[in-house]
Amino acid sequence: MTTFLVRRLFQMLVVITLSAMASYGLLYLAPGGPLLFLQQLQRSGPQAVTEEDIARIKARFELDLYLPYRFTRWFVGLPRGPITVGDQAFFSDLQVGCAIPGQVRLRYPDGRIEFIEEGCEVPVTMADLEGRDVSRGVMLGDFGDSQVILRDRPISILIESRLWYTLALMGVSTLLAILIGVPIGIYSAVRQYSRFDYAMTTMAFVGSSLPTFFFGIIAILLFAIIAKEAGLPYLPPGNATANRDYVIPLIGTVEARSTLDYVLHFIMPCAVLTFVNIAQWSRFVRTSMLEVLRQDYVRTARAKGVRERLVITKHAMRNALIPFVTLLAGVLPTLIGGAAITEAVFNWPGLGRLLIDALERSDYTVAMSLTFLSILMLLIGYLISDILYTVVDPRIRLS
Amino acid sequence: MATTSATTATEQPRKRRSEGQWAIVFRRFRRHRMAMVSLGIITVILLASFLAPLIAPFEPDEIGLGRNYLPPMSVNAETGQFHILGTDHLGRDYFTRVIYAGRVSLTVALLVATISSVIGILLGVLAGYFGGWVDIVISRFLEFIATFPALVILLIIAAIFLENEQFINIPDFILAPLSAVLAVSERETKQVVLIILTLALLNWIIPARFMRGMALTVREQLYIESSRALGASHWFIIRKHTFPNSLPPLIVEYTLAVNTALVFESALSFLGFGIQDPTPTWGNMLAFANSYMFNHPWMPLVPGLPILLASLAINYIGDGLRDALDTRLQL
Repeated sequence: MTTFLVRRLFQMLVVITLSAMASYGLLYLAPGGPLLFLQQLQRSGPQAVTEEDIARIKARFELDLYLPYRFTRWFVGLPRGPITVGDQAFFSDLQVGCAIPGQVRLRYPDGRIEFIEEGCEVPVTMADLEGRDVSRGVMLGDFGDSQVILRDRPISILIESRLWYTLALMGVSTLLAILIGVPIGIYSAVRQYSRFDYAMTTMAFVGSSLPTFFFGIIAILLFAIIAKEAGLPYLPPGNATANRDYVIPLIGTVEARSTLDYVLHFIMPCAVLTFVNIAQWSRFVRTSMLEVLRQDYVRTARAKGVRERLVITKHAMRNALIPFVTLLAGVLPTLIGGAAITEAVFNWPGLGRLLIDALERSDYTVAMSLTFLSILMLLIGYLISDILYTVVDPRIRLS
Repeated sequence: MATTSATTATEQPRKRRSEGQWAIVFRRFRRHRMAMVSLGIITVILLASFLAPLIAPFEPDEIGLGRNYLPPMSVNAETGQFHILGTDHLGRDYFTRVIYAGRVSLTVALLVATISSVIGILLGVLAGYFGGWVDIVISRFLEFIATFPALVILLIIAAIFLENEQFINIPDFILAPLSAVLAVSERETKQVVLIILTLALLNWIIPARFMRGMALTVREQLYIESSRALGASHWFIIRKHTFPNSLPPLIVEYTLAVNTALVFESALSFLGFGIQDPTPTWGNMLAFANSYMFNHPWMPLVPGLPILLASLAINYIGDGLRDALDTRLQL
């Protein structure tokens, strides 16, 4: 078990480095970012931006460094400057970036003049990195600063403020989906081809084949807009809280930012996520249960005269839920991406919504941090599911 | 005596054999009522989209000042024009846009499913049939891609593609026919191609994994061994044994892939990272409808209903095919 864990953790480290490199490279290719506004600034006249100004802004966002150095500084917070052993500094002249690119004037035969960037006029060396602010690296839990959404403030604040909303949404909906979905799946399997089974499989079919936002919009339409117009008790259509008190028929005045306000806002996004999860999981449990019910030991148990109730709960259900447990570990990585669409529909201020905002507004450090987090969570999810497998099924050994 | 009984015994099956494998499949498929209904619905949607220029009463991007937000079944008071599904926020006829959007959304879904299936099947066969280091390289690569959270990466790639649109060149022999199929300009088509690429980039994993598993099980069969003993080449075995034996579940897998692509495309467009506005898709029409639904609650239903119908129909067809193709299942 220990050797397994050590090996898996080592593997995880390799995979996470590779995936982080790949996704960092991906975002590096992306245009925009904090330098986008420079294109609109004047390059001549009294208010012109000089090359030095641009170099300063670039340095502020580390954009003057070459990709490998930027990546390692973001990933583990290194290099921070020349390596000093005793009094001697090594690598202080190593060029790690370019502050001002060199310009070459091209004169075409037809008289056109064009400037192209070529080479480097003012290089950034290792010695220049000395005094710069640098995060300790995402691997050590320091995500650095946001560039647009919460300018120059740590991303960790941003993530912290959104995390609880997402955790509440995912946690409650997952719990509800297990509590409702598993019994539905088992009952459907036990009463296969009954009217209940048909109804539930149809519901599961609809729930898992349609996009999540569709249910979200239908829910808003029914429970917020139409209910409000009809004078019935309605639910607030979006956000996590209201800005001012509002009146709901039968319930009365709801104070803004009170517990009731939170709960009312929470119901719809939670219900939509729960419904989608129930649809998928009850189908999964049903299939797995049907398979187990066909096994010889179930027939043996029945032949021995064990009561049907016990056969189902003790013999069949326990085995049928083994694959389901690993499915649950898969919930962890969906923390960010999974609820993104639901969060977008209901304007729920969670992590998924944050990712969409970050991409929309070109806040790449935030987008990068969230991508890193979801990769990390995916890998931890895999690990947990492997470990859980051995816990729930003693026949499986880790090796 | 013995010969007569033998002929009577063989006569029965011969009659059935003349029916042909696909005829049997179709006979079994017809029994699935929902699948047949779905086939009808999909046919209607495909026909409407395909014949859009003939059916549509308006131009898809014909803006009408002062006639926006008209509810369904209403007549424009000024011009006396009839809008069967109403108009959107720019006064464009909703019915026209929905059928033109079907052209785009369904083409994207079908192309994404086809491209990703072809890539996935090729890689899966390579990995599963040859095994060894080929399998190791492909499987590890698959696992690596699977470590990326799908929606997150999808959003990032789509954002990069959309912002860099002017720098990416798509050859004309792809753009020109596609723009004719989609009935949009070549500039808009480019965006559609980029979204197709984005979706195909991530969706080939499922068919690849699936095909690898199929190829692995088929590889161990005795008839492959005998085929090889007779001197059959790898390509012959793949073509004549591995592929036909994996075909039935692959067809089912393909229908599911079409639905996944449809849903993902509409989700991307809905979030604002998909195909952008002048080009109509069900997803981006829904996104706009979503922001005006508080005053005009009928709006999201117009593009929402086609998504609902198409997605359910494709899934039911897949379900029907699964039952029809699985010969072990007694219907």
